[in-house]
Amino acid sequence: MVNQIKQWIQVARRRHYIHPYLFIAPLVISFTIFRLYPSFQTLRYSFYQVELLKQKTTWIGMENFLALFEDEIFIRSFINTLKYCLYMVPISTVIGLVLAVFLNVKFRMSNFFKAICFSPYITSTVAAAMVWSWLYNPQFGLFNAVLKLLHLHPQSWLASSRQALMSVIIFSIWKIVGYNIIIFIAGLQTIPNVYYEAATIDGAGPFTRFFRITLPLLVPTTTFILIYNTILAFQVFDQVFVLTGGGPAHASTVVVMEIYQQAFLKYRFGYAAAMAVVLFVCILAITIVQYVISERREVVY
Amino acid sequence: MNKLFVVGKLLLTLAVVMVFTVGAAATETIVLWYPGGEITSVALLFHEKDLFSEFEVQNDCRVELVAQDYDFMQQKIFTALASQKAVPDILFIDQSWVPGFLKEDALDQVPEVDAAAWLEAVDPVVKQASDYGEGTMYCYPQYGADIYGLTWNKDYFAEAGLDPEIAPQTWEEFREYCVKTCKKDEAGNIIRVGYAIRHLGQPHGVVHKFLWALWSAGADLVTDPKALRGGKAAFNNEGGRKALQLVYDMLYTDKSTSLDFPDPRTAFLQGLASMQISETISIQTRQPTEAPNLKWGVAMPPVMEKGMTPATNYNPWVYAVPRTAQHKDLTWKAIKWINSKEKDYQFCVKYRMTPRYKENWDREPLVSDPYIVALRAMIPYAHPYPNNLGLNGIMEALGTAIQKVWHKEASVDEALNEAERLANKAIEEAAK
Amino acid sequence: MNRPVISKIVYVRRTFLYLIIAMGGILMILPFYWMIITSVSPVTDIVAFPPRWIPSHLTLEHYQAAFDSAPFGRYYLNSLIVALGSMGVSVLFGLLAGYAFVVYRFPLRNFFFLLVLSTLMVPFQVTSVSLYIMLAQIGWVDTYWGILAPNLGSALGMFLIRQSIKSIPIDLIEAARLDGASEIRIVFTIVAPIIKTALATVTLILFLGSWNDFLWPLIVINSPDLRTIPLGLSLFKDPYGGMNYGPLMAASVIATFPMLIAYVFSQKYVIEGIAITGLKG
Repeated sequence: MVNQIKQWIQVARRRHYIHPYLFIAPLVISFTIFRLYPSFQTLRYSFYQVELLKQKTTWIGMENFLALFEDEIFIRSFINTLKYCLYMVPISTVIGLVLAVFLNVKFRMSNFFKAICFSPYITSTVAAAMVWSWLYNPQFGLFNAVLKLLHLHPQSWLASSRQALMSVIIFSIWKIVGYNIIIFIAGLQTIPNVYYEAATIDGAGPFTRFFRITLPLLVPTTTFILIYNTILAFQVFDQVFVLTGGGPAHASTVVVMEIYQQAFLKYRFGYAAAMAVVLFVCILAITIVQYVISERREVVY
Repeated sequence: MNKLFVVGKLLLTLAVVMVFTVGAAATETIVLWYPGGEITSVALLFHEKDLFSEFEVQNDCRVELVAQDYDFMQQKIFTALASQKAVPDILFIDQSWVPGFLKEDALDQVPEVDAAAWLEAVDPVVKQASDYGEGTMYCYPQYGADIYGLTWNKDYFAEAGLDPEIAPQTWEEFREYCVKTCKKDEAGNIIRVGYAIRHLGQPHGVVHKFLWALWSAGADLVTDPKALRGGKAAFNNEGGRKALQLVYDMLYTDKSTSLDFPDPRTAFLQGLASMQISETISIQTRQPTEAPNLKWGVAMPPVMEKGMTPATNYNPWVYAVPRTAQHKDLTWKAIKWINSKEKDYQFCVKYRMTPRYKENWDREPLVSDPYIVALRAMIPYAHPYPNNLGLNGIMEALGTAIQKVWHKEASVDEALNEAERLANKAIEEAAK
Repeated sequence: MNRPVISKIVYVRRTFLYLIIAMGGILMILPFYWMIITSVSPVTDIVAFPPRWIPSHLTLEHYQAAFDSAPFGRYYLNSLIVALGSMGVSVLFGLLAGYAFVVYRFPLRNFFFLLVLSTLMVPFQVTSVSLYIMLAQIGWVDTYWGILAPNLGSALGMFLIRQSIKSIPIDLIEAARLDGASEIRIVFTIVAPIIKTALATVTLILFLGSWNDFLWPLIVINSPDLRTIPLGLSLFKDPYGGMNYGPLMAASVIATFPMLIAYVFSQKYVIEGIAITGLKG
């Protein structure tokens, strides 16, 4: 008996059946415990009313989701998130692309400037947002001081319901542009010079070269940037929390902020779970759409 | 490359070892959470490192004082309670949070004997704030901190030709004084507001600094302030509308104030505001260091019309104990100890606070200190917060309405209707 | 005769280029400059108008206040423990799993791979609520394990490592096996050194992500002893007062300083690494 088992083990070993499972085990196990299981739990909780302090869960079916449709604050946060996405993603992509094109030219300080542009990305969002909340201070902040020096009207920035969201967007653009620049530069460098040379010989000017060669060949890179920026935009939290806390009067609240509020400030876990599910579905949908559109536009020369 | 891996593995092991060795057990320790940061001049008390040392020696234990950020504190308390691990023993919190915790059945009751003794010995307003029905107490109110009053800058009054010793008495005077003491630069931008308003941040905070107007206009938060359950929102009426309209007019008709000075106390201390209404103790403690040359006065906030009763908030910080805390006997002992008559007197003298025990009012130097005397005159008009379990929802609804109106996002009627609907919903849900 | 004209155009273009880039660079770095300057300016300078670009004199009082108010040393330690822990675990698990997915053919290989990959799609916020409840039930809230928990299942490391393992010729591995090396030894002594660039990049990305993480530590940490730097920094938040900005900026400098210094020395490396991962993504 024992000998047979030993033989089996030897066979399994030779065919490398044990090792793979052993090697992927740590990752798969911890992933299942800490990622997979909670994901399904969230889906499950979204159909319950969860009262953690009283250790009670009650089945309520679709009630959470229906309540979401009537919840003005959630709707506001959803619209804000969309607005945030619609402003931040295109602007940061375009600025990233433009600066990348300029920085791609080999001049003496190009690496230095690349490093500078990338530095906001690596700083902690919380620390950077603290600095910006200081810059945005209506009385003493630098931005209003500069506006006053230029004889322009000082703005309320984070103190105004109208400007709060935009102020957060501006911060986020500042933060992510460096990353976009780096990725775009990498993408630009994959375009062989031959194409540009050939085009120049054919008499194409710089703008034509840009729109006919650079842009089309950059589609995969651009798609990646768009998708990445969009996912970031939908998941934004840190800067909203630090800069405005979602206010004033929910003017700048976003979906993740609401999830946090509902789950941890109002103790409504089931409701928050429902919001999380909605968020996931949106991100998934938008990512798929973006990916499909880009597949169609990809060009290979 | 091997070396790098060895180093990497060592670091990882080090990290793991640290994880396991951190958190050693100690003698019986009770943990007190208090809100750190600017907002809590009251919590000056907890900056004293040896605050509890006598108690610690007498009872062979340790009392650990932990600061939490005011903005996160409610959430932190909840997550601690929910995890049932590292539950703090003493919560030093805003009394307006208590109904929220009561709703979740999260607080322990003060031992009956102690409660009866306390209610017997303290001032009527403190008694009113401590009693949650038939002598039941869930917390001990700290005093002196949160009487709200109108403070004004005497120099700016004199500059505007107003009597620097007398505060505006009615809303009409208030508006007039605001216009006269506000200052603009050549471009027309306001550089000094007549009255600084709080409109940012947690809706609770916005409501705190608006209640004087609501109450002095005859409106209220709920119809029955003492009841834990039931009742309806009481602010969607003539009084509520007039209160909201007051500041709205100051902002957009008179243009004597602005949304760009969002921290009233700092603005006042910095000389950027002539008047503000908030906790008097904040100004009292900060002024000597932050604005040594400021001459200021304190009085009741103005009433809507002459002859009406003035009103102001009394929102104390309280000592509470979670129901799931571990060392409850020791904890209540500690709370009783720090709230004894003698300690009350000591702290009042040291921090210039108003006492809670009836007897301490008549002791020197409290009985002759002009600031304390002024507050003593105001205290009879102080309203505590309602006990309603849905208080959080009510404050949030009203706070949002206030913000919307002042930010011109909704009309007064719309905002108040919406707030009433949400507040009633919160009351209903809490009553279940 | 054409050359001088062309040079002129080129010259104008070049200046335009420099101008745009300089403006961009200044805008990028302005907040940092302001942060540092405010942290060493006396209060009178901070609230002065017109703004003082160079302080009248330097003061360290804000740093004093910052260190007095919060145990930054402890916060650093915590951030370090958490970052090292999560990075170490992710890299280790990722290396093993990446190797397995590339080198071996075994039943259900594709299934497991897609399963793990799907986590990249699900945003953290979706799992955070339930993860919190689960940790609360096993008593991991407010512990180091609790802070590490979400990172223990991260597939990002594995995905990036796998990409680079793919480029290793299988003959090398076969040769090592013939020499009698055990699989584990092959992973650590042969594969790892070959992909060390990718490993280093992954390490950096994971370390950075963990160091800057805010939402999860905010939710799961209660005791001040366990606070990581972003959390400790947020305690200074008092965005309304004009008086508190000195210590706040000092605290921000303290919080961002190590990463910025590390970045200055390794930036070329970091940028290249990020660029490569972006391309592959």
